[in-house]
Amino acid sequence: MNPLGEKYLRKNFLPFLFCPGCGDGMIVQAFLKAVDDLGIINDLALAAGIGCSAWIPVYIHADVLKVLHGRAIPAAIGLKATRPSRKVVVFTGDGDGLAIGGNHLLHAARRNIDITVIVVNNQIYAMTGGQVAPSTQVGSRTQTTPYGNLEKPLDGCKVAIAAGATMVSRWSTAHPKALSRTFKKAMNHKGFSFVEVISQCPVQTGRYILGSGAPQFNLQWIKDHCVPVKDPSQMGEVEAQGKIPVGDFLQIEKPEFMEEVQRMNQKVQEARAKGGER
Amino acid sequence: MKKGRIKVMQGNEACVEAAILAGCRFFAGYPITPASEILEGMARRLPLVDGFCLQAEDEIAAIVAVVGASWGGAKAMTATSGPGFCLMQEGVGLAASVESPCVIVNVQRGGPASGQSTSTAQGDLYQARYGSNGDYSLITLCPSTSQEMFDHTIRAFNLAERFRIPVIILSDEVVAHIREKVTIPDPDQLEIVERKKPTVPMEEFIPFQAGEDDVPPMPTFNTGYKIPVISQAKSLSGNRGNAKEAEAFIHRITRKVDAHIAEFADVRTYGDERAETAFVSFGSVCRSARSAVDMTREKGLALRSVEVKTIWPFPDDLLRSKLTGAKRIVVAEMNLGMLVNEVRRVIRRPDIAIELFSKIGGLYPQPQEFLRFLEEKR
Amino acid sequence: MKSAERIEIDRRYCKGCMLCQYVCKYEVFEPGQERSALDYHMPRPAKVEKCRVCRLCETHCPDMALVVVAKKKGKEKE
Repeated sequence: MNPLGEKYLRKNFLPFLFCPGCGDGMIVQAFLKAVDDLGIINDLALAAGIGCSAWIPVYIHADVLKVLHGRAIPAAIGLKATRPSRKVVVFTGDGDGLAIGGNHLLHAARRNIDITVIVVNNQIYAMTGGQVAPSTQVGSRTQTTPYGNLEKPLDGCKVAIAAGATMVSRWSTAHPKALSRTFKKAMNHKGFSFVEVISQCPVQTGRYILGSGAPQFNLQWIKDHCVPVKDPSQMGEVEAQGKIPVGDFLQIEKPEFMEEVQRMNQKVQEARAKGGER
Repeated sequence: MKKGRIKVMQGNEACVEAAILAGCRFFAGYPITPASEILEGMARRLPLVDGFCLQAEDEIAAIVAVVGASWGGAKAMTATSGPGFCLMQEGVGLAASVESPCVIVNVQRGGPASGQSTSTAQGDLYQARYGSNGDYSLITLCPSTSQEMFDHTIRAFNLAERFRIPVIILSDEVVAHIREKVTIPDPDQLEIVERKKPTVPMEEFIPFQAGEDDVPPMPTFNTGYKIPVISQAKSLSGNRGNAKEAEAFIHRITRKVDAHIAEFADVRTYGDERAETAFVSFGSVCRSARSAVDMTREKGLALRSVEVKTIWPFPDDLLRSKLTGAKRIVVAEMNLGMLVNEVRRVIRRPDIAIELFSKIGGLYPQPQEFLRFLEEKR
Repeated sequence: MKSAERIEIDRRYCKGCMLCQYVCKYEVFEPGQERSALDYHMPRPAKVEKCRVCRLCETHCPDMALVVVAKKKGKEKE
């Protein structure tokens, strides 16, 4: 086994439950590389909900809280608030994170709380057998859109930016080096960091939408369709070609939520000590 | 001997006071009448004790944040009313499944749905026990006064830590908003229970294995245990369980509470313990029942009020013993009949009449109504 | 120029997805006949001598089941 795996995987839970060729296992590896480079395994608190990608953190030998469908972010907030020095990372999917969990994404980004949210986007609800997701392309035939999907997909990165996230990137499993580097950057970023990962699902997206269940075909599709952009202003151009812009779209510094809370607590306590109400 | 201080406070305020004294340092909630004062009180008090209060984006975020905070090491609480309690149900099951201690206050109001936001009711009794999916056990406490709201809140945190469960405080609009004297004991007079922590190192620790009491030790995240906590039915190692493991898991998380009812069951009698006519009630209705007892005593008639303080798991044995000798039992509640079903299930005697006094619509039942009921239905 | 001592495929975890063959620029792998513990046909590193230790197969393996053991001045290096 891969030495990174020897060092960091929860051995008694192996093998991965992921299908052959699934992108989730590749994301485990890319994430572990980042964790290893940063040396933060003991400070990690991982949260997830329900779905294939929700199993990613379970295989990592760290503290993991895998809650209800769509609710990883509130769990992460509870973990972060009780000890802000924790490195809290959420693993969610395009369904878990953008449909049922959408509201929590908006508000965590709005608060600019120092957690990292990784959205594994395979453009489908894979675990439940291939139903349409908020990220599925128009026209796709899925289990719940047998005549073709009528709904336009949601761009998670744009939503995160609009909601106030201070670091937003999108890469894919066809870019494992960029992925590791971005995971590192996100975990080091002080504030709400959002990383979307276009990932292959050969069994559902591959077979039902793209036309082939072969892992190679699916990874090639991602390579062909994900176009790195240096500047977010180029996103529209790429999208117009029917492709997916990837890259580091945003990184800014804004006051971080937990630091603001601690500052407020201190101020309030000092004022109370001096005898005032406020 | 110092008794503590006395303050006049609403039930909701008493809840905040007690929570802070019990060690609660994380609160997440959503504004909802008639529970908002608890969120507001925690927002004012928690920053003063290095705690954290979150007004969450919705009730689901609130309850799940509470579960996260519990694993983060804090004593955590949320408070809501019927509609919010409905939204939280999946989260209640989550807390039961991952065995995170936490306190959930439901200040009942008129239902169903948005119901009557500013009126009292008791329609959430079953929801408090069976609101979430699947099999699980928890404890539900019912305060009738501001003092009991205080006492039960301390108790709720202790029971949550002891059993690693969500504990529900089933209050209602009357108890929440009534202002009365509360004796607040000095902190050193309070018994505060903390969760069991592991005593062996990580390599030897099996996360969901318990000893005789069925309650596994609970490590806080980032203290060197690296444990997988998942919301699925689990094996001892924390992975998804097979059929046998899932069965054993569900048995253990229910048995850990149900087999210990005698440890915490609380049913009280006010009035003549041998009176042949007994009222049975919970929550704010107990207040009226007591007044009815006092009023009939003046007339020389015997009446007893049996007050259920720990309503789930239902205290079968204790209730039966408190109703010894009763020939006529009137269950009074502000719903169409929920507690009465439990009483009928427990007292299965054809010679004993068990009647229901039901009051809905939002108006609080007056003691005179109880007495009229006794007369008319003779 | 780096070269590989051997390529280890962990038969406990390999699912025969063949992404290692797909990413390899040096045509080291071929489909094999041996089945892994999970009953999938495993790839065979048939031409280890062509390996340049770029480790693309290692980083792309979705099951972390692959290790390239490099040769280094006669000593083994991972």
